[in-house]
Amino acid sequence: MDVQLNDKLVIESISKGYKGNPAVLKDISFTVRDGEFLSLLGPSGCGKTTLLRILIGLLPADSGKISKDGRDITALPPDKRGMGIVFQNYALFENMTVRQNVEYALKLHKLPKAEVRERSEHMLEAVGLADQSRKYPRALSGGQQQRVAIARTLALNPDVVLFDEPMSALDVATRLSMRTELKQLQAKFGTTMLYVTHDQEEAFALSDRIMILDRGEISQLDTPERIASEPANEYVRSFVLDNLQAKVDSLARFIRRGGGAS
Amino acid sequence: MKRRTWTRAVIQVCVALFFLFCVILPILRMLARITPEGFRTMVSSPQFLPAVRHSVTTGLTATVLTLVLAFAAAWCLERVPIRGKAVFSTLFVLPMLIPSISHAFGLVTLFGANGFLTNLLGLRGSIYGFWGIVAGSVMYSFPVAFLMFAGILQYEDGTQYQAATVLGIPKLRQFTGITLPYMKKTLLSAFFAVFTMIVTDYGVPLTVGGKVRTLSTLMYTEAAAKTNYDGGSVIGAFLLLPAIVAFVIDLLNPERGQGAYVSDPVSPSGGAFAKVAAYAYSVCVGLAVLLPVGAFGLIMFERKYPVDPSFTMEHIRTSLNRGAGTYLLHSLLYALLAGVFGTLLAFVCAYLTARAKGAFSKGIHLISITSMSIPGLVLGLSYVIFFHSSPIYGTVLLIALANSMHFFASPYLMMYQTLGKVNPDLEDVGLTLGVGRLHVVKDVILPKVRFTMLEMFTYFFVNSMMTISAVSFLAPPSPKPVALMLSQFSDQLLTEQAAFVSLLILGVNLALKVVGNLLRRRARA
Ligand SMILES: Nc1ncnc2c1ncn2[C@@H]1O[C@H](COP(=O)(O)OP(=O)(O)OP(=O)(O)O)[C@@H](O)[C@H]1O
Ligand SMILES: [Mg+2]
Repeated sequence: MDVQLNDKLVIESISKGYKGNPAVLKDISFTVRDGEFLSLLGPSGCGKTTLLRILIGLLPADSGKISKDGRDITALPPDKRGMGIVFQNYALFENMTVRQNVEYALKLHKLPKAEVRERSEHMLEAVGLADQSRKYPRALSGGQQQRVAIARTLALNPDVVLFDEPMSALDVATRLSMRTELKQLQAKFGTTMLYVTHDQEEAFALSDRIMILDRGEISQLDTPERIASEPANEYVRSFVLDNLQAKVDSLARFIRRGGGAS
Repeated sequence: MKRRTWTRAVIQVCVALFFLFCVILPILRMLARITPEGFRTMVSSPQFLPAVRHSVTTGLTATVLTLVLAFAAAWCLERVPIRGKAVFSTLFVLPMLIPSISHAFGLVTLFGANGFLTNLLGLRGSIYGFWGIVAGSVMYSFPVAFLMFAGILQYEDGTQYQAATVLGIPKLRQFTGITLPYMKKTLLSAFFAVFTMIVTDYGVPLTVGGKVRTLSTLMYTEAAAKTNYDGGSVIGAFLLLPAIVAFVIDLLNPERGQGAYVSDPVSPSGGAFAKVAAYAYSVCVGLAVLLPVGAFGLIMFERKYPVDPSFTMEHIRTSLNRGAGTYLLHSLLYALLAGVFGTLLAFVCAYLTARAKGAFSKGIHLISITSMSIPGLVLGLSYVIFFHSSPIYGTVLLIALANSMHFFASPYLMMYQTLGKVNPDLEDVGLTLGVGRLHVVKDVILPKVRFTMLEMFTYFFVNSMMTISAVSFLAPPSPKPVALMLSQFSDQLLTEQAAFVSLLILGVNLALKVVGNLLRRRARA
């Protein structure tokens, strides 16, 4: 496979099985471009989380190779990959304030005090939490907690950030605004984002490209427009487009009712 | 990544070796002492079969009584809207803070030949014997069953009762049709926990058993006092039986999700009659708890109740001359050591089994919960035999170790459950941020579970202050803990001094509980 200039991540023939579940990922290969927003869409249990954990190094693949910027990172530990991840449940440090959450890792990395403070302030500013920095996570709304998790991850300057269903715990209105913010953050920091979701409509709204995963295999990887106009197979058509139609309908109803002002 | 897996493997191997050398091998070593002749000699001795019979009959009677009384008490507090629930539930667990043998002394002070109630009510007949053992056993096992029942009653879902009431199903049918099936598993666990506890305790039968000797008293007098370790090993094997049965039953009935979120708990209900009855019952139980403690407080200051009720400090002075002060210091040291070491060990084990699952996790979990069912007397005997020629024999460390092992299971389970509820991704987030597991544990997880740690420490501490079982084999030569004075007083019928020592232990334990509660309340505020 020749490496193109704007390829950020190159994933080659990743396979993974668990005990009692031998083929969760079957020989997966794809490329993530620099600065792109790529969504991973697929039904529950198709291996999305497994793939993310392999990419960031929390889980070893059974076989295959991962390269970043042309460098083989398959055997590197998670913190040496220049990548970050945001979990579905945020996994915030509940005994620390918002600012401490962001600064904790920076401090342990022995960054100079002034720089730690500067970075955390910059990050909290970027996610709109500058005035909440002394609060504890339990005092925040779901969307705000989500932002803390994002700020904590971005503070280490990763150039690739993985999201594992980050919006699934949020209400519809918050989701809509978080989406916009996420895109703004991406534009601001130029981060490559890999975004796992259940939500077809979210994927279509956010993504430069969408990857549809079915039982450990890639069904289609393309732009939203092309997926909509030329679904690769019957599965993509029925899973993605039908559900999307239902979503669009319900969203239309939601907006007509007054858009979550309640 | 390589180095991290290494650290974990090393810790796991250390823990596994620890269990091997501090539980498995000592017990096997003790069982290996049993020879066919030794077995025959012990089993055919004239005391043996009666002792088995007495253990079974007193044990069963006391267990059934405890379960019924504790269930009624838990029901009164959880299902009937009575006043003073907080006071009653504190009172009901108070007996957990004094040694079992103190309850026997309490019976003697109240119902003995010259007991308070004997004289007051003109009672006849003797407390010593079958009913003495049963009464004493009920008194100290009551709180254990009460806590189990109160816990499970709190978590029952109320909607099914609402439905049943709408359908016009009578209250009694609701009880037999809904409540009892729901509680089956807890009833069974409570039965075995209480039965094992009663049958393996020697303090009560030694003091109020009179001529009725049980397996545990036999083990104490034969093996601990007369150092007949071969005979003791045979009895020890028998005392392990209920534990093994309980363990197998537990394995066959895997835990279902308990303490799950209940959307609609049962709200207390009941008419005026139910309220009055529940209140009266609670007051009676509360009195039964307070009476012996009150009696202790009186007789330790009276020269000789009822003959000479004049005030004296003599009993206290004599106890102190006999070394109560020094022994109390020993006990505090044991309790502190077991508290610190046991809590750390239980945390490491619970962490390994709940959050860092690996090669040994299942085994460690199994041994941890099994250790609960090893009777103290058996643990003590196996420690004497196994550690006899080791350098820690006769030191403070051996008893601290025995206590840590003996009381390991409950604190371990507390932490196991708490850790299971902590966000599972914390360590992974740490790894991706370049923050190692140890840092996450120290800076995030430990602060989160600190009150469970406190509770674990308290459990080790309080039980180390009270225990007379394993230590009766280990001290001497190890420095003597204060609770062991009670076994000695039991032989010499020194009730007044026993009262003083019991209250001493109660005082220390109560103080620790109060401090713990204050800390917790301050953190909440
Ligand atoms: N630790 C594990 N051991 C065994 N099987 C596992 C393990 N983790 C995941 N699996 C299985 O692998 C498959 C893929 O799991 P994965 O979590 O990657 O799915 P997912 O696409 O993220 O699903 P969801 O949308 O529900 O989060 C599932 O069938 C799951 O049961
Ligand atoms: Mg998932």
